[in-house]
Amino acid sequence: MSVLLHPPFAITFDFLTATGFWTGVGVLAGVYTIFTLGLQLNVGFTGIVNFGQAGFMAIGAYAMAILVVKSGWSFWLAMPAAIAITVAFGLLVGLPSLRLRADYFAIATIAFAEIVRLTAQNARGLTGGNEGLFCEGSRCFDDSWRSVSDTIGGWLQDLGWSNPEALFPLLLVVWATALILIAALHFAKRTPWGRVLRAIREDEDAARALGKNTLAYKLQSLSIAAALGAISGFFLALDLATIHPADFLPIVTFVGYGVLVLGGLANYWGVAVGAILMWVILEGTRFIDLPISDTQVASVRFIVVGVVLIGLMAFRPQGLFGKREEMVLGE
Amino acid sequence: MVEVPWLERLRGSPAARAIARRPQRAGATAIALFVAVLTAAYGIHDVAQTGLNGLSLGSVYALGAVGLTLVYGILKLVNFAHGDFLTFGAYMAFLMNVTWGVPLVFAIVFGMAMTALLGILFERLMWGPMRARKAGLLQLVLMSIALGLVIRYTIQFAWGTQIRTLDVNNIATAEFLGLRIGRTDLIAIIVGFTVLVAVGLMLKFSLLGKQMRALSDNLALAETTGIDTSRVILYTWLFAGALAGLAGVLAGAVTDIRPEMGFGLLLPIFAAVVLGGIGDAFGALAGGIVLGLVIEWSTLFIDFRWKNAVGFAVLIIVLIVRPQGIFGSARTV
Amino acid sequence: MNDANGRILGVADLVRSFGGIHAVDCASFDVERGSITALIGPNGAGKTTLFNVITGFYRAERGAVAFENQAIFGRPPHAIARRGMVRTFQITKALARMPVIDNMMLAAPDQPGEKLRNMLLRPAAARRREREVRKQAVELLGIFNLQELADHYAGTLSGGQRKLLELARALMTQPKMLLLDEPMAGINPTLGRRLLEHMHRLRDERGVTFLFIEHNMDVVMGHADRVIVMAEGRVIASGPPEEIRRDQRVIDAYLGSGPEQSADEERA
Repeated sequence: MSVLLHPPFAITFDFLTATGFWTGVGVLAGVYTIFTLGLQLNVGFTGIVNFGQAGFMAIGAYAMAILVVKSGWSFWLAMPAAIAITVAFGLLVGLPSLRLRADYFAIATIAFAEIVRLTAQNARGLTGGNEGLFCEGSRCFDDSWRSVSDTIGGWLQDLGWSNPEALFPLLLVVWATALILIAALHFAKRTPWGRVLRAIREDEDAARALGKNTLAYKLQSLSIAAALGAISGFFLALDLATIHPADFLPIVTFVGYGVLVLGGLANYWGVAVGAILMWVILEGTRFIDLPISDTQVASVRFIVVGVVLIGLMAFRPQGLFGKREEMVLGE
Repeated sequence: MVEVPWLERLRGSPAARAIARRPQRAGATAIALFVAVLTAAYGIHDVAQTGLNGLSLGSVYALGAVGLTLVYGILKLVNFAHGDFLTFGAYMAFLMNVTWGVPLVFAIVFGMAMTALLGILFERLMWGPMRARKAGLLQLVLMSIALGLVIRYTIQFAWGTQIRTLDVNNIATAEFLGLRIGRTDLIAIIVGFTVLVAVGLMLKFSLLGKQMRALSDNLALAETTGIDTSRVILYTWLFAGALAGLAGVLAGAVTDIRPEMGFGLLLPIFAAVVLGGIGDAFGALAGGIVLGLVIEWSTLFIDFRWKNAVGFAVLIIVLIVRPQGIFGSARTV
Repeated sequence: MNDANGRILGVADLVRSFGGIHAVDCASFDVERGSITALIGPNGAGKTTLFNVITGFYRAERGAVAFENQAIFGRPPHAIARRGMVRTFQITKALARMPVIDNMMLAAPDQPGEKLRNMLLRPAAARRREREVRKQAVELLGIFNLQELADHYAGTLSGGQRKLLELARALMTQPKMLLLDEPMAGINPTLGRRLLEHMHRLRDERGVTFLFIEHNMDVVMGHADRVIVMAEGRVIASGPPEEIRRDQRVIDAYLGSGPEQSADEERA
């Protein structure tokens, strides 16, 4: 089941387990940072309201795993191929629908993401349907990763950590990737290319009148977001060690928007902060000792997320760290 | 609007222009053709039988879509919480019908009334004040998503994730003309269509209905003609809430009740709204019925598991080919 | 720079309708190279629609448009702008949440850095061009007395300053021809005079051709070389101002919508 609905960690206050627990939280925060960087590029810097990010995440994760497990590709080759496939889907979705008004585009992209998820659910031969996708015979999609993970674990032991957390290597890699991507996007933002994107966010017609092929730029923005979605999908798959349709429900995109708004629009570093905050809120509720059932705890987390989002939208629409002057919402 | 060359060429073709001039006729013709082909392939009985199921599904969509489209048209709010209004209505009816043991008729009315109140409550708490602050599109969309989460998970907190059913007889069937339909389904179709006709008449002939449609068409213009907009807005929420509540109860009666049921219905309801042209109340009614029928008919040749995907595919195709809708009164987007 | 006469823009039999009503109805006219041409007409005559069609923002049903003897009918707006025909808008489109200097630099043509690929492969070329562009932008801002505001967000500018910024930004594209939609509307007379001076100077020094929509007859008669008059979607007259002033068809068209016109002039 979805990580969001049924977190893979047990409730406990044991200190040692808590390290593992927070490592897991850190991995998810890293996954959502990469996921939401795509939304930031689209919403914060291009002004296109992409509600299909979970769909891109799903395509990336499934494409990678299918290539490894079913086609016998190398994991390292499957990843770039999966990114290429996801980008192709980004173009396929964007080309006809990017000309739509923002609200229509939002609905079209969420419908696209749902079609992807339903396909994952129903095309059992390819995706394993609701049983999920992990191994076929002796070949599993994360074989290559596990040997890398063991190597990093060995280094950690050499550094004096006698029994490193199983997920710690993934934590390192996911955050290293996230930081590189943030730096790259930050660089791209300041290029003339990024300036055209921002102009489109401000007024597409003005940009066209100045000779910019805005559709091409919007397609690039959506494709890069799709690629970022795919990368976040790889890490989610490695984290969960299985790929399941319920990991890509629309709520995943909504949580991404929550991260975006928490960290602030038009701010890439804010995404990382927002993702950490979001997952501390989501998982931190676990440490509040209430006499309620697991389901109720899970419910409370989403009620809290909803209330925080509503509060932010009402009283601080630029997000916690967004610039007032560059407030993308509210106009 | 960005123009995509090949799409523009397609739109410019004589056939496309003929369709654009009379979209309703073109849509009706397409459906008639679809039915004719299906009848030829699968026989009249199967088409009629699946069509009957389609009417049951379609009335739920249509009831949900009218409210969603009016809220959009009048308040310019893409209300992602609308699906959870359906869920709320269903649980309210469950509370009365099962927990308190009151007959279903009263439970339905209770579900509608409570959902209407919920709509008005959030208008007063959130949407009114946000409009006064001139909140942007995305700001409101995200708020509605967040509100949907709050409603859905408050319900899940209170009732858990268990699947619930209303106190209805889901085994008894009715038979006529060689067709078989569950008694509950039949009642749902009758109730749904009666209310839909009443809604249509009310929109067409009552002053309030005319004002709603006028506002949905052009808020600024309607304001200058002296319509009391704040009153109409309140009634719109009342109306949208009550119909969503009814849709939720009907959906819950023919299948079951669970916290995510409404969100699952939201996208097909969006599809119905888009089919009818966003903001067009009559279009939404027609769009809902047509979508219900098309989805059920599609099960004749596509595995039923793909049913929901058919709805989304219709949504995307309509958005791409004709974003201003097919079954509404034609207007430009 | 460019005193050669002849046609820079030719429009023939252009038709564009909205829901059965012909907003532009078989409009035909030429614009001479290096001229300052005014486009006038009563409200609803189809002037802005005509601009939208010529610059590719709207698709016309029929007709032909040639810019510098090349057919541009049906080309997308950005392609037309790149050929050197650049427009401004009736309601200014300052890119509000970008600094003034970025508004200017955005408009510069031939910036290799606008392609992501070049930012990776030829970053030096992009940086070099960026320096050139910045210099040009600062220069142009100086001409329009906006240099002090270079680092302000464009959204903080006054209405008149936005109009100037939009003109300066359009000039950054190094256009051969500028289409200005009511450049004088909503700005004070001093700024308006300055804008007109700029127009003359740009025509004289850089050979830029101007086609502008204007309601104020004093401006039209005093500053335009040629005047094109539209009514109900058609071009009903064109020629030098003195001729237009005496044209009976023009007088009739304007008398038909007199009150609206005066209201418009007050606004301007």
